[in-house]
Amino acid sequence: MTSPATAPAVVDAPTPRSDAPRATKPRSVRALPYLLVTPAVLALLVGLGYPLYWQVTNSFKEYGLAQQFGQAPEWVGLANYVELLTGSQFWAVLLKSVAFMAVTALVTMALGIGLALAMKAVNRWARLSLQVAMLLAWAMPIVAQMTVWNWLIDSRNGVLNYVLSLIPGVDMIGHNWLVNPWSFFAVASVIITWAAVPFVALSVYAGLTQVSGEVTEAAQLDGASGFQMLRRITLPIIRPILVILLLLQMIWDLRVYAQIELLQGFGAAGDKYDLLGTYIYGLGIGQGHFGVAAAAAMIVMVFTIGLSWFYVRELLKEDN
Amino acid sequence: MTRRHSLGRRIGSVAIFAVALLWAFPVYWMINSSFQSAPTISALEPTWLPFGGTWRNYSAVLDGSSGFGQAMRMSLMITALSLVVCIIFAFLGALAISRFKFRGRKSFVLAIIIVQMLPAEAMFIAQYKMIAGLNLLNTVIGISVIYIASVIPFTVWMLRGFVAGVPADLEEAAMVDGCTRFGAFMRVTFPLLAPGLVASGVYAFIQVWNEFALASVLLTSDASQTLPLWLRTFAEPSTLGMIEWGQVMAGSVLVAVPVIIFFLIVQNRMTSGLVGGAVKG
Amino acid sequence: MKKMTLGVTAFAAASAIVLAGCSSSGSEGEESAEPTSSATTGTETTGATAQDITLWLMGTDTPDPLIEFLKTEYTEVNGGALTVEQIGWGDAIASLTTALPDSENTPDVTEVGNTQSATFTTVGAFMDITDMYEELGGDSLLQGFVEAGAVGDKNYALPYYFGSRMAWYRKDLYEAGGVSVPTTLAEVTEVNASLKEQGVGGFYVPGQDWRDGISWIFANGGEIATYDGSEWAGALATPESIEGMEQWQELFETASVAQVTDDDSTAYEAINDGFLSGTPAATTMAPNWAYWSLGDIAENDEGEQVATWNDEKFGAFVLPGADGGVAPVFAGGSNIGISAATQNPEGSKDLMRIIFGDEYQTMLAENGLGPANLDYADTYTEVAAMGDIALQAAESAKLTPAAPGWAAIEEAKIMEQYFAAVAEGGDVTALATEYDAKLNELING
Repeated sequence: MTSPATAPAVVDAPTPRSDAPRATKPRSVRALPYLLVTPAVLALLVGLGYPLYWQVTNSFKEYGLAQQFGQAPEWVGLANYVELLTGSQFWAVLLKSVAFMAVTALVTMALGIGLALAMKAVNRWARLSLQVAMLLAWAMPIVAQMTVWNWLIDSRNGVLNYVLSLIPGVDMIGHNWLVNPWSFFAVASVIITWAAVPFVALSVYAGLTQVSGEVTEAAQLDGASGFQMLRRITLPIIRPILVILLLLQMIWDLRVYAQIELLQGFGAAGDKYDLLGTYIYGLGIGQGHFGVAAAAAMIVMVFTIGLSWFYVRELLKEDN
Repeated sequence: MTRRHSLGRRIGSVAIFAVALLWAFPVYWMINSSFQSAPTISALEPTWLPFGGTWRNYSAVLDGSSGFGQAMRMSLMITALSLVVCIIFAFLGALAISRFKFRGRKSFVLAIIIVQMLPAEAMFIAQYKMIAGLNLLNTVIGISVIYIASVIPFTVWMLRGFVAGVPADLEEAAMVDGCTRFGAFMRVTFPLLAPGLVASGVYAFIQVWNEFALASVLLTSDASQTLPLWLRTFAEPSTLGMIEWGQVMAGSVLVAVPVIIFFLIVQNRMTSGLVGGAVKG
Repeated sequence: MKKMTLGVTAFAAASAIVLAGCSSSGSEGEESAEPTSSATTGTETTGATAQDITLWLMGTDTPDPLIEFLKTEYTEVNGGALTVEQIGWGDAIASLTTALPDSENTPDVTEVGNTQSATFTTVGAFMDITDMYEELGGDSLLQGFVEAGAVGDKNYALPYYFGSRMAWYRKDLYEAGGVSVPTTLAEVTEVNASLKEQGVGGFYVPGQDWRDGISWIFANGGEIATYDGSEWAGALATPESIEGMEQWQELFETASVAQVTDDDSTAYEAINDGFLSGTPAATTMAPNWAYWSLGDIAENDEGEQVATWNDEKFGAFVLPGADGGVAPVFAGGSNIGISAATQNPEGSKDLMRIIFGDEYQTMLAENGLGPANLDYADTYTEVAAMGDIALQAAESAKLTPAAPGWAAIEEAKIMEQYFAAVAEGGDVTALATEYDAKLNELING
């Protein structure tokens, strides 16, 4: 572990005079950080500036298909927000999404950490085989992932139903896994977990390799048990990784869109299979209620910030 | 080490190997199915091994009329452009926030975190209007502009950790030895950052390569489909009504191949890079 | 080491592809990006009216030879070039919503599903073509579709083609099960339940397939929604609609070999050999052009699986009504109109004239797509496969409510959900009330 870099202002005058006084920086140097962030800021403004502005303003407007085709949108204040927050459907979808996110993110983290620890403890060939398998799963593009899984769980010719039917007394041939909403979301969760664990496991494993052997050996000599070592030494060291990984999983699983959309396309139609992503898409492009969709997106953003505020604050603190 | 310990290790190894097989199974099944002919694939009894299979599924995909080649070109161009621009811009931004204290730094950091929490689906209409207004629909540049903006925040965040992890003293030391600032940076800092650049590159690559929702809005013409759009259409039932699973799986394999190639190229640096940023935060 | 070399080679190959891609498709990108601006150059070079225009067709129902005909004919008449893009039905609403209002990128002429056309016409997405109505066929045009594309007495979108749904069956399986073609709706259930019980076959009733299932509601005198002069309201909970739905539920439970999540996308071929493992389908419902996908499956010279119609094994009948006669089926098909935002109104009108002209209408009929102009119905019944049955079905066909919110209802898949819930065995009366409420939320736009 390197000591936390305190972001010293290392920039000096171009000549290598190491004794140059640092207090009086020339104007050009003070401008440097701004020059450096300019491309990124510009890219953000160009790509997201107008859409975000459009979204914020239209969340306060009556903006439907008629407005899309030229009628002037009418300012309606908070009406879109009120409509969403007082109706039951938005809350139902939000709740479902949060539950889905919680389960999927936690299972992903648990499996990822577990497998990373296991990788540390097993022989090289076993570790390598797992790493290769994980890289393969991770490399699969989402559309390909979903297509393959759809084929695995195909009701008639899928290998999953075939294998399950080998169990005496079980006949799953023809069983469709996507009808029951619980089963639908379970399938979605399994697929997303399958694809997300590699990132977590490999990251945590890379983090574990940075826990120096000397420290663990010393602890072992002191008679620390495996569990104690994990809790006292290993976890604190990899804690920063775990925090950021958990935050990422939470954000990604909460705003999951592609997997649900594709899974719905395989035959599970309708809003009982919706999570926030598909719900907002359906409201907007699907049904032409762009104003309401924009309001829903704003609420989701605020909600996500609130949900992750603890982590964000922690990250910012570390950043200083 | 005691015997018991090593026995436990062996059992654990076998268990992990089993997990590896389980994890790789969907990928294996995709490859296996891609070599099966239509009758074997729709048989009730699955065929477990691809031996004696057929290449016909692949020739069907690669046949000029399937649109695969066109989509591959489009995807490669969009991904390459977005990746390069995103990494350069993000790297500069990361340099700024990890090496300098300046006014507005905190707001910039907050902004890049919050932008990631914005649901993308409600902005499609506005993004369409914007790109259409710039007359960039169905073009590589048009969609890349949006992709770059959506990938940059996380990439900056990731790289920030790496840059912070390279002690500035190293650079200074090199400068004392007579390097220019730029020379010192290139010789000392940059090599240390390579894993970070690779890791964030992998992230950006996957994000862009996978995206299809925005693509379906911005790329309407048949000639400008990307691979995910192509595969989605390709996996729909044919005019004969049946999904030709063999061909669809062959298509899936081919869509995944560039990612796997990319992973192979960067694999050595990737694993170490995955984490450096976060650990060193 | 070896792995790395492989990686490098692959990378070199990949970058070669990238580079090659850059040079060649840069020009293509430009081409497809400016169909409208090139129109101006066209005007200068080839005469006063030559305009390059774009036509959007939905799905792949229009056969390639017809598209080729349109392109050649358009260039001959107008001098400009016609670009045809096929938009998948799944992306149709998104594409139309984004592109139609945008004069730089709108298709000049576009097909739109007949059930979606009310939504777009009411917001002014299409150009008023009332002045062309007589010229394009007038009252000979299929009136149900004309109304779906009209607002008040103004015409915006006109019928493009129609298809009528009919029942397709397997003669050999009916014979094996000792049953004959049913003549009432109740018999449809009986016959297929008997086949299923014997393990010989069954009715392919996809749980989400409301477009076919709706006939059971219509046949019992029910409706999806009714208009009281100012507002639309769901009518699923009327006694007639409920009765129809219960009959459909019984059919699903006793005679169906399809699943709750199946939809009509594969219903076409359900009765082909090998489509289902286990009990095969002996009956299915599909538009008349399913003729081309039904029959004995064999590999053609190019190794593709194709179906060849076999009169010995396959047949079709009109879905019978509750007490015999003909059950009203849902009229499939689409409308076509000129985008209100087009910059090439003259070229677009030329294209409309070609589409509604003799030759094209005849070609539609010959390809089994019901011609919009009923003057060509004779050709249709003579030439088109199953044309007589199709026309018989078409005469009693019904459309979905021409309500402003109908496209939103389709997009939200309300009807699919209703039928799936009934197929799962839910209480029809309770579900009907629940789904009437869902319809009411969206149907008035």
